Amino acid sequence: MSTPVTDPRFAEIESHRPYLLRYALSQLRDGQLAEEAVQEALLAALESIGSFGGKSSLRTWLTSILRFKVIDLQRRASTERLHFDAGDFAAESEGEAWLDDLFDETGHWRVPPQAWSDPEAALEQRRFWEIFERCLDRLPGAAGRVFFKREILGEETEAICKDERITASNCWVILHRARLGLRACLEKNWFGGVESAG
Amino acid sequence: MPGKVNCREASRLLSVACERDRASREPDALQYHLGRCLMCRNFESQLRFLRKAAKRLSSQD
Repeated sequence: MSTPVTDPRFAEIESHRPYLLRYALSQLRDGQLAEEAVQEALLAALESIGSFGGKSSLRTWLTSILRFKVIDLQRRASTERLHFDAGDFAAESEGEAWLDDLFDETGHWRVPPQAWSDPEAALEQRRFWEIFERCLDRLPGAAGRVFFKREILGEETEAICKDERITASNCWVILHRARLGLRACLEKNWFGGVESAG
Repeated sequence: MPGKVNCREASRLLSVACERDRASREPDALQYHLGRCLMCRNFESQLRFLRKAAKRLSSQD
């Protein structure tokens, strides 16, 4: 007889926690609420792991559980009128000082992007995904959240702007920043590891 | 003048292109720049890769 505690899938479920937290953060923008949603989702998943048939990936299944928890918390938060304004966005996307770190006065790359060798192979390596997620974590709050919605969840830019209450051009700037940050991080920590020391 | 772009501007245009209809053409100035700039072509491939990797992240086992 297998008691829930010994199910080997528990450790596996737990291994998706960072991803789930990122998902929750992208939707809730509040660390504490996000933690709460993930905690509730994981508990629910543990209780119903028996019903997971493996038709989708475990992550997809967990995300669908989390989605409900998130919606639930969003509802609660909005009835409590716990609304976050877009203040952090204004601060983050205004000005282009961050671009000056990446490009010199003549608009040239300060650190030229390299040709990445065999990026396809990276997709098959667990270590690459760890680095990818860590690089996502390093993006500034809005950039990480918007990038996650746009590229990982595949939401339309228009819907994201509306949801985040920002203009389309603001949204583009934020996404641009996220992409530049992410590519630099991957180049430094994965693709650049062999050829260049820096 | 709008005819010429540098890397800073080219990278921005490439990123914005990710938000547009895939069918829409890159501006001539960008194409001209890409034709001469290996660094920005690298950046362009990296953008494509990022998109692919990001899509995969949501269904990882």
